[in-house]
Amino acid sequence: MTETSAATAGTSAELLLDAVSKSYGDNLAVRSISAEVPASKISVIVGPSGCGKSTLLRIISGLDNPTSGQVRFEGDPVDGVPEGLAMVFQDYSRSLYPWMRVDKNVEFPIKHLPAKERAERVRFAIEEVGLTHKEKLYPWQMSGGMQQRVAIARALASHPKLLLMDEPYASVDAQTRADLEDLLMRIQAELGITVLVVTHDIDESVYLADRIIVLSSPPSVVAEVIDVDLPRPRDHIATKTDQRFVEIRSHVTRLLRSKEPAATA
Amino acid sequence: MKLLHEPLSGRSQAVLGIVGTVGAAAVWEGVIRSGLLDVPGLPLPSGVIAGVADLVPDGTFWDQVLFTLGEWMLGLVIATVAGVLVGGLMGAFSSVFLALEWPVEAFRVLPSVAVGPILVLLIGQGMLPLSLTVALSCVWPILLNTMYGVRATDTTAVMTAKTFGNGELAVLRKVKIPSALPFAFTGVRIAASIGLLVAVSAELLIGGGNGIGGYILENSANATNLDLVYAATLVAGLLGVLVNLVMAKLDDVVFGWKKGLAQ
Ligand SMILES: Nc1ncnc2c1ncn2[C@@H]1O[C@H](COP(=O)(O)OP(=O)(O)O)[C@@H](O)[C@H]1O
Ligand SMILES: [Mg+2]
Repeated sequence: MTETSAATAGTSAELLLDAVSKSYGDNLAVRSISAEVPASKISVIVGPSGCGKSTLLRIISGLDNPTSGQVRFEGDPVDGVPEGLAMVFQDYSRSLYPWMRVDKNVEFPIKHLPAKERAERVRFAIEEVGLTHKEKLYPWQMSGGMQQRVAIARALASHPKLLLMDEPYASVDAQTRADLEDLLMRIQAELGITVLVVTHDIDESVYLADRIIVLSSPPSVVAEVIDVDLPRPRDHIATKTDQRFVEIRSHVTRLLRSKEPAATA
Repeated sequence: MKLLHEPLSGRSQAVLGIVGTVGAAAVWEGVIRSGLLDVPGLPLPSGVIAGVADLVPDGTFWDQVLFTLGEWMLGLVIATVAGVLVGGLMGAFSSVFLALEWPVEAFRVLPSVAVGPILVLLIGQGMLPLSLTVALSCVWPILLNTMYGVRATDTTAVMTAKTFGNGELAVLRKVKIPSALPFAFTGVRIAASIGLLVAVSAELLIGGGNGIGGYILENSANATNLDLVYAATLVAGLLGVLVNLVMAKLDDVVFGWKKGLAQ
């Protein structure tokens, strides 16, 4: 039931989920998830609310342990937070530190570096997300979209190999969301980072993804893996009116509509 | 009575406050002068103000005020350092909490002033036993507020720090303690007022004639000096009001960012 096209053949799997399951007491949140996240691409996990997407990201980032199965990052089993990983949360106002100005927030993950390199990375990251001249504001003085840009800049400053994002744009307005989606794709193309986004928004998943991992309703398994061959750079009008885009979106919608959890092997 | 929904402007608040204070003093003065209340030793507001006027040029009195302030600040600093440290650890680690919960509950109910004489026996007279007495009463609101502040740290803020490779102790230092500091400072504000009260009370008991308390004690031995005693008490009270104002301002300036803490 997993279709992986030739598009990703030859690229290495940066991240490997091997039969990952998670129960909270009697509640089986994630039944068994196996998937490959290719290096230097954007992968998107899409699934209904409560299907265990956040749980899965916590396990991938080593913040939580799976009940069974394992996660491998660059070949090594994840046991604790691996190096080279950064996470962007939906709730930017809770994830940013309100006692630090923008530049200090961005500097947070790299305090151990020499001052000169620190300053250079902060400057670059803030420029990447288009917040130059806003460094001395406090996050709570900014709009939601700008705060999420700060969170992205902070992740970039840490030079991640793997960027995890948990519904990063679920709390911002539609226009800001569209801008931030394009920002993410531009940065990913520029820096070649491996990105794994979690969302419940089907449009967003198809628009962003090189690979979509569709989860069933809980207890969740992978319903299907879809490689998206839409050309890049993508554009909100051209891409979203592309026949292939419409087809893939319909397909994912049908998968998520079917209420029955997919059968396990 | 009509409820006030709109907060009053700072100026009308100040005017109302002064009118109320002066009015209360005037009524008090009237009650005593008219002979309605006839108890020897009760102060006349006009006499107390005259007493303050006598105190102002008195260098030895101001030395005592400075002594009390120094004693109080030292106590408050000791209490803040100890309270934030122990409260932070108790908030962050359940093992520390379990180990210290009962000792804290036991020491918290001890009347700190009563411990004063024991401290004098142990370390002798001077400012230190007085400051330690102050610290012993100040530490609890700071410790408890820090502990609850640390516990209330947002889980997303903590997870963020962990994904950047920070262990438990680093998370405590970089995230939990900073985000608990506004709570800790509320504890310090409460402690500051308590501390001043305890400082003067402790001086009455073990001050050896030092501080505002010592001054009050020496002059109250002489019944003709009662106005001076009341005046000194009034100065101590005004000092408390001033401390409160400074603390409130400090809260605004240093912890203005707390409006950014997620609710
Ligand atoms: N810490 C937890 N304790 C108990 N149950 C949890 C916990 N975290 C998540 N769950 C449960 O796991 C399921 C998946 O939650 P979550 O990963 O947040 O889903 P999603 O992010 O896809 O909305 C839900 O049923 C939720 O109630
Ligand atoms: Mg979620």
